[in-house]
Amino acid sequence: MKDILRKTIDVAESFGSEYSEIRAQELHKTILTLKEERVEAVRQGLEKGAALRVLVDGAWGFATVGTLDSGILAEAVTDACKMARAASTTIKTPIKLVETKTIVDKTAKKPRRDPKEIPIEEKIKTTLQTSKTALNYSKSVKGCTADYLDLTGRSYFMNNQNTYIEQDKLYIWTRILVTAKEAEIFTSSREEVGSTAGYEVFDTETPEIVGERAAKRAVDQLKAKTPKGGTFPAVLGPNIVGVFVHEAFGHLAEADLTLSGSVLLNKVGKKIASNVVTFYDDGTIDGAFGSFKYDDEGITSQKTLLVEDGVVVGLMHNRETATRFNAKPTGNARAEDFRVEPIVRMRNTYLKPRDHSFQELLSSIKFGYYLKSFRGGQANLDGTFQVGVQEAYEIVQGEIGSPVRNASISGNTLETLLKVDAVGKDFELWPGRCGKGQTAFICDGGPHTRVKEVLIGGSA
Amino acid sequence: MAEKALDNAQKRGADEAEVYTYQGLTTNVVIERGQIAKSSRIIDRGLGVRAIIDKSVGFAYTNILDNQAAIDETVLRALNSARASRPDEDWQGLPIKTDFPSVKGTYDQKIVELNSEDLVKTAKIMLESAEKTDKRVFPIEGGAGSSHLCKAVANTNGIGAYEEGTIVECSLATIAKEGDEVTPVCFEFEIERTLDINPEWVGKEAARLSASALKAKKTKTESTSIIFTQFALQQLLNYTLINAVNAEYVQRDQSAFKDKIGANVASQILTIHDDGLLEGGIRTWRFDDEGVPQQKTTLIKEGVLRNFLYDNYTARRDKRASTGNASRAGYTSTPNIGATNFHITPGGSSPEELVETAEEGIIVYLLGGAHSSDPVSGEFSVVATPAWKIEKGEITHAVKGAMLAGSVFPLLKNISGLAKNERKIGQLVAPWVLAENIKVVGK
Repeated sequence: MKDILRKTIDVAESFGSEYSEIRAQELHKTILTLKEERVEAVRQGLEKGAALRVLVDGAWGFATVGTLDSGILAEAVTDACKMARAASTTIKTPIKLVETKTIVDKTAKKPRRDPKEIPIEEKIKTTLQTSKTALNYSKSVKGCTADYLDLTGRSYFMNNQNTYIEQDKLYIWTRILVTAKEAEIFTSSREEVGSTAGYEVFDTETPEIVGERAAKRAVDQLKAKTPKGGTFPAVLGPNIVGVFVHEAFGHLAEADLTLSGSVLLNKVGKKIASNVVTFYDDGTIDGAFGSFKYDDEGITSQKTLLVEDGVVVGLMHNRETATRFNAKPTGNARAEDFRVEPIVRMRNTYLKPRDHSFQELLSSIKFGYYLKSFRGGQANLDGTFQVGVQEAYEIVQGEIGSPVRNASISGNTLETLLKVDAVGKDFELWPGRCGKGQTAFICDGGPHTRVKEVLIGGSA
Repeated sequence: MAEKALDNAQKRGADEAEVYTYQGLTTNVVIERGQIAKSSRIIDRGLGVRAIIDKSVGFAYTNILDNQAAIDETVLRALNSARASRPDEDWQGLPIKTDFPSVKGTYDQKIVELNSEDLVKTAKIMLESAEKTDKRVFPIEGGAGSSHLCKAVANTNGIGAYEEGTIVECSLATIAKEGDEVTPVCFEFEIERTLDINPEWVGKEAARLSASALKAKKTKTESTSIIFTQFALQQLLNYTLINAVNAEYVQRDQSAFKDKIGANVASQILTIHDDGLLEGGIRTWRFDDEGVPQQKTTLIKEGVLRNFLYDNYTARRDKRASTGNASRAGYTSTPNIGATNFHITPGGSSPEELVETAEEGIIVYLLGGAHSSDPVSGEFSVVATPAWKIEKGEITHAVKGAMLAGSVFPLLKNISGLAKNERKIGQLVAPWVLAENIKVVGK
């Protein structure tokens, strides 16, 4: 493999590329979809291919092919060089990459339970058990879609600066979507499990626990009312804090989006949040869904401090954005597979815990909302964010009250971060998938957190 | 190749088998932060095999097509998958062979011949047009791209179908800055099956939108009229109405439209077809992703629910014919039900007249968080950004932070106006839509 990669890099060099890299991969996938107790299809995939990226005259060329044949790779890299040259004709600010250490390493995953060694029948049984638990929870549960994915394989990375890395890939993910219905009221609920450790994740996130968690929420929501729209104090659960940190702040701190003009441009070194806010993006948490050893530009992953006591101290970089900010690369360049190029992505992003108990956070609120679990979220470069909520409750006189459905929160990130007034001492990290043209596996989380006021969208 | 694989599958014990192959060749030129920074070529091809043994469905795919051995191996893995799986008592077979209709405007040799240099020219026109329109505007990302797609389906019931298509597109996302104010991202694009796009218009319009999004004001909490442009409408319907007309949702008791065929579910002015044969439609093909002819299906006629979208599996469960709505995400997936061209019949008024009719309200270009809508109940709680205020029948100023909340089903009944400015966005083909009495949460 190393020889094929070397030859391809040599071809790029002969075209006068300033930088060249090749990322070859072999990937295996097992995918299951169950609808109620029906196994819709058992799917197995085998993929092989290479991504070629070159920098010529300050512009990028990129090609991807589904083969590791050295002749085709040579053609593809030639093509990439020509395309880069075509793109460079109007370049105003030539792209430059920050200097990095040369790395030569081979890493191997050693899961306690390797998904490759587990028969498909067992994977079906585990997934079916999740589904059955949800369906048997209550007569009101009408449907359950359960998905399972495992992805294993190996990535081979080489660049013209003598870095060569072989790295195992291992991801396990399940998602369960439960729907419930009573009279004309419909509700739905989602739960996900994700790990880079191994199949042992189901020893703790068992089918019974996950199935019941999803079903209970869908059924409880049947009796929920819609929230009042307007500005209210709120306590955010770890799952909501996570999606808020990821969507409302994290994307704006991805340095490519910062450069595009996100509200964090020119904010590095400045205070943007209350003193109790400290954010990390950490790629080194063992087994977490967003962890890896080297990113897809061959940079060592790390724990990156983004906000310390309310002050922006760092952004998430690839080699290109690090040059623009005169910063060090942070190991955030990730590509979903060989079909796409690496871009700046998050890993495991979270709010650092402080010292409040959950009761203390609730106690001062006369009327507000406790937002526990999210359905989705999104942010715009101007800092307008939205987080849709799948589980929420009223807070009345410092106590948790009636359940509320179809709530969401919105506002401006910078205004909202200044309104964070107390941070809890607990901590949870939740797995998820993030879309930015391509999918990345991530985690986000934090402790329970109180916000003085936030806009709640509601139809009541 | 496909025939050999089918033979092989049957010899090794499959009751039925199907081979789906897909090839996509895409060339892109990418704008990043105000300049053309990149060009890429993506070659992706592969094959997926479905094998059925005793009503158990197995599937395997690969992109390794260099040799027959890799394909044989894929057939074996599909059979293994079927043997590991469990029987599905509702399985009533793969589709059978039927004649395909003809379609227009789905392939253009001129798109196949586009190269990076041509697309650089397109991107350059778009960028220059945006820069010329307003100095406060910054093009953050976008580009131009061309794709040549080929797909084929063959199965042991005699289906053997092959088709090619082309797509060309250009897009530009911009923001505008003035002092400390940054606008939300504004976006324009054009996408066509034949080489007929106008990058100059896209650049100009993307710039005009972001410049007019400056000086945004908060709005009050009230129930008011909303005009959804096609982008916002697509985001809203994609996660709600398009699920409700999906036969699988209906059969699994997850659709508000269950048992509602013949009932009034929307305003009388609303007529919607799923038109898989629409001339030049982004999702127009002769056959769907399991080899069934695509067709034009009436979903809602003058407010009355008429039909659902079916693939072969759900159709046979309901003892009827598929509507040709099996859809796959390339060779790596098995079919699911998807809309083709979800076509809302336009009305008679110009966009300006629709704004006049609305009198007071908000016109919404994009929704933040539409994907967090409840896929079953149709409830949404989203932020409208960018959006503009309508006062005395005119668009007056940008609005920030306005949240919309409600459910799509009452919204359908509250539609009071349709413009005639139809356009294609993803699977949606629609005009601007005016709906009354939508809850807006402002400050």
